Amino acid sequence: MNWLLPSESGSTSRRYFVTAAVWMVVAVTAGLLAAIEMVAPDALGNIKPLVFGRLRPIHTNLMLLGWVPAALTGGVLYIVPRVLGTKLWSERLGNFSVWAFNALLLLGVVTLGHGMTQGREYAELIRPLDFVVLLWLSLVGTNLLMTVRRRTEKLLFVSVWYACGAVLWTFVVYSFGNVVWDAQGALRGPTDALWLWFYGHNTVGLWLTPLAIACAYWIIPRVTGAPLWSHTLSLVGFWALLAIYTHTGGHHLIQAPVPLWIKVLGVVDSICMLIPVFTFLANVWLPLRERWGRIHADIGGKFVFAGTVFYALTCIQGPLQSLPSIQRVTHFTQWVVAHAHLAVFGFAGMIAMGTIYHVLPLVTGRRIYSRRIADLQYWVMIVGVIGFFLVLTAAGLLQGHAWLNGEMVYRLLPELNIYLVLRGAIGVAVVLGACLQLVNVIMTIRKGEPIAAEPPLGDLGVPLRPLREIPERDGAAAHLDPRPSP
Amino acid sequence: MKMTPSALVGGTLAVLFAIIGVVVILPVVSDPDLPSAQARPRTTQELEGRAIYIREGCQYCHSQYVRRVDWGPTAERLAQAGDYHYDEPQLFGSERTGPDLSQAGGQHPDDWHVAHFVNPRFTRPESIMPPFDFLTDRELANLVRYVQSLGLRDADARMARQAEWHAQALAAYRAGPDANVAWLHKNVPAGWVTVPNPYPADESSLARGAHVYQTFCLGCHGPVGDGQGPAAPNLDPPPLNFTTLRRAGVSGGVLYYQIMNGITGTSMPYFKHELESEKIWDVGNYLLVYFLSGRESGTDGQAIDAAFEGPPVPTWNPREPAPGSALLPSTSHQPRPEPARPEQSRGVEGLPATSPPPGGAP
Repeated sequence: MNWLLPSESGSTSRRYFVTAAVWMVVAVTAGLLAAIEMVAPDALGNIKPLVFGRLRPIHTNLMLLGWVPAALTGGVLYIVPRVLGTKLWSERLGNFSVWAFNALLLLGVVTLGHGMTQGREYAELIRPLDFVVLLWLSLVGTNLLMTVRRRTEKLLFVSVWYACGAVLWTFVVYSFGNVVWDAQGALRGPTDALWLWFYGHNTVGLWLTPLAIACAYWIIPRVTGAPLWSHTLSLVGFWALLAIYTHTGGHHLIQAPVPLWIKVLGVVDSICMLIPVFTFLANVWLPLRERWGRIHADIGGKFVFAGTVFYALTCIQGPLQSLPSIQRVTHFTQWVVAHAHLAVFGFAGMIAMGTIYHVLPLVTGRRIYSRRIADLQYWVMIVGVIGFFLVLTAAGLLQGHAWLNGEMVYRLLPELNIYLVLRGAIGVAVVLGACLQLVNVIMTIRKGEPIAAEPPLGDLGVPLRPLREIPERDGAAAHLDPRPSP
Repeated sequence: MKMTPSALVGGTLAVLFAIIGVVVILPVVSDPDLPSAQARPRTTQELEGRAIYIREGCQYCHSQYVRRVDWGPTAERLAQAGDYHYDEPQLFGSERTGPDLSQAGGQHPDDWHVAHFVNPRFTRPESIMPPFDFLTDRELANLVRYVQSLGLRDADARMARQAEWHAQALAAYRAGPDANVAWLHKNVPAGWVTVPNPYPADESSLARGAHVYQTFCLGCHGPVGDGQGPAAPNLDPPPLNFTTLRRAGVSGGVLYYQIMNGITGTSMPYFKHELESEKIWDVGNYLLVYFLSGRESGTDGQAIDAAFEGPPVPTWNPREPAPGSALLPSTSHQPRPEPARPEQSRGVEGLPATSPPPGGAP
């Protein structure tokens, strides 16, 4: 029982990190196999679970509902209690949620491999598994909210808002998007597409984004020793994310036969997305001035910072890409796939890896087994994100412009080949990178050099008061004081 | 503002539900939910096929709506909301790695689809679609029914046309090679029959023709044009053995017309979207030189005296005036250079002079 559901502090986060490291290998391997099939369609021909159309949802679900949220959940289940000056409400419940999550992913891969799918992009999981997702979200949500309830620090640090919000909102969004009260998990007619993309876009917007932001908001100030820039920016960013991101699903359908007003809403709000994005970035980037070295001294911080850079790129591209004039060229092409890789792998994925590297020593009391392996992994992933982005964007532009010019899809396939080959080659590197991470995580837990594990209660890791609100009299040292100023 | 647990839970959920009211509930409430002229409910078989389409994830590569900026099959009809009235879930798709399928029904006969599913490269040599040979016969049949229903009532009309012509095509094929060729030629408008191929079968035309042949034709008609491509066992009537054309002969115009418009009722698709005019003439030259006598029949053999005509190649036609005079503007139609026979033409020296028995079984 104690092995199955340990109550030891930090065990939940540790197990989420192992979960993430293992499933990342599976997720990117599925992606690689799918990439290989686009180059050599007969290579894995007639192996039913490996048909492209079954592999693709395995890959996407293991990213969106798999290893990325596993790592980020592991992060927030450590960060939230710590900034609240308490312990996680129930480690046993937390560990139970880890098992539930692993069961979910295992069943997800098996059912999707067997062709049991609802067929709606990113909402493929069959109805029983939809309920497992909701159950898992309620387990994590209960744990988070009960931890908030028994906090000793009165102030709710911004990470807490995003972590709790992500779980609460996703429970609602997932229920609507998957139409969980319907046996087929869908509506009839084109309205179904509106519901699907409300969900599809918010899987990134109200799920991965707030989880990743919650982790970045704690890790970046912690490694730089500087508090966030402004409480007002935190507030604006948080409420704007909720109010704006939720409207943008329509931009996936601006060429589809759905009502015009919802397309307009989708495009306008997509442009407005610049507000929550840049308030967050200003908040974590401005205090970095003169502290750049510290970011790169910490391997976790390095990954997380790279994630924020990819966040900036994703969210400059995203609003532009929502414009009808741009979609004329880019819609239906690999350009969109490039954007998806930049968002989920570049932004949320890099922050997820950074969270593992930053928080794992804090929950295990051991140093990362090999900084060298981690550095190598960092560069493999950087090359992977940028490589995927450039190659797929180029392929997308080729497709889009050729189609506009009257070229047929079929005749373009031989021209796409070189890009698809390069994409597969980058995929090989990313799979190797994921294996490096798995080795490093396992070896850290087993053989990492011991350090003091638990910080004294009341050490919140970061100063909660933002930089602009710290009274002048406290002087520069106040920035480094981990406790809130009076 | 200070964030409190109640603002965090109650406040954000209030905002979220307000937005859901607008972007999720309002579209359902305000949806007129009317079928379009094209829409009809699907049959049981079609629905079973649709379930296979979903099971194998076809929607990840094939979209199902025609946009204003699209070219291609039935691009003149934009998708309407009512076309999807009976669909649950919708299968709009978000990528077009393969072609749009919203109007796929009736564009090809059933047997073409079967050959294509067994291995897409059988009918489309450059395809990157996975093979679906693992489907049971019943699944395959249902999947074909679903694909043939795409476009619903419009697809039904196309399917009726396919069925009507299929019966004729089959009867003609059963009547023997000469009757088959006669039927094929009968359906080409008279004006096209006497049109010569305006482009000389020179080296570059044949090279382009070979490329087009390999990209579009090889899977059915086979590498040597005998109709024994990998798709052939699944097709009925089978692909034409080009040597059956030798006795009756064929003009460039007939080949052009048939390649451009396809032969409805058979697996010969139309290529008007995929091949520009010159490419069709080039592949026509390729067929004439490599698989037929090298000569067109039924035309007056007169070249079109167009600006693109280069100076005549003396070795190919000794009747031409001496080099140099070709630069002068021509006042009358010159006899066009004869298409080279394989054994005379440069660049095809390694090719064995295959001549299967005329009229041999396709």
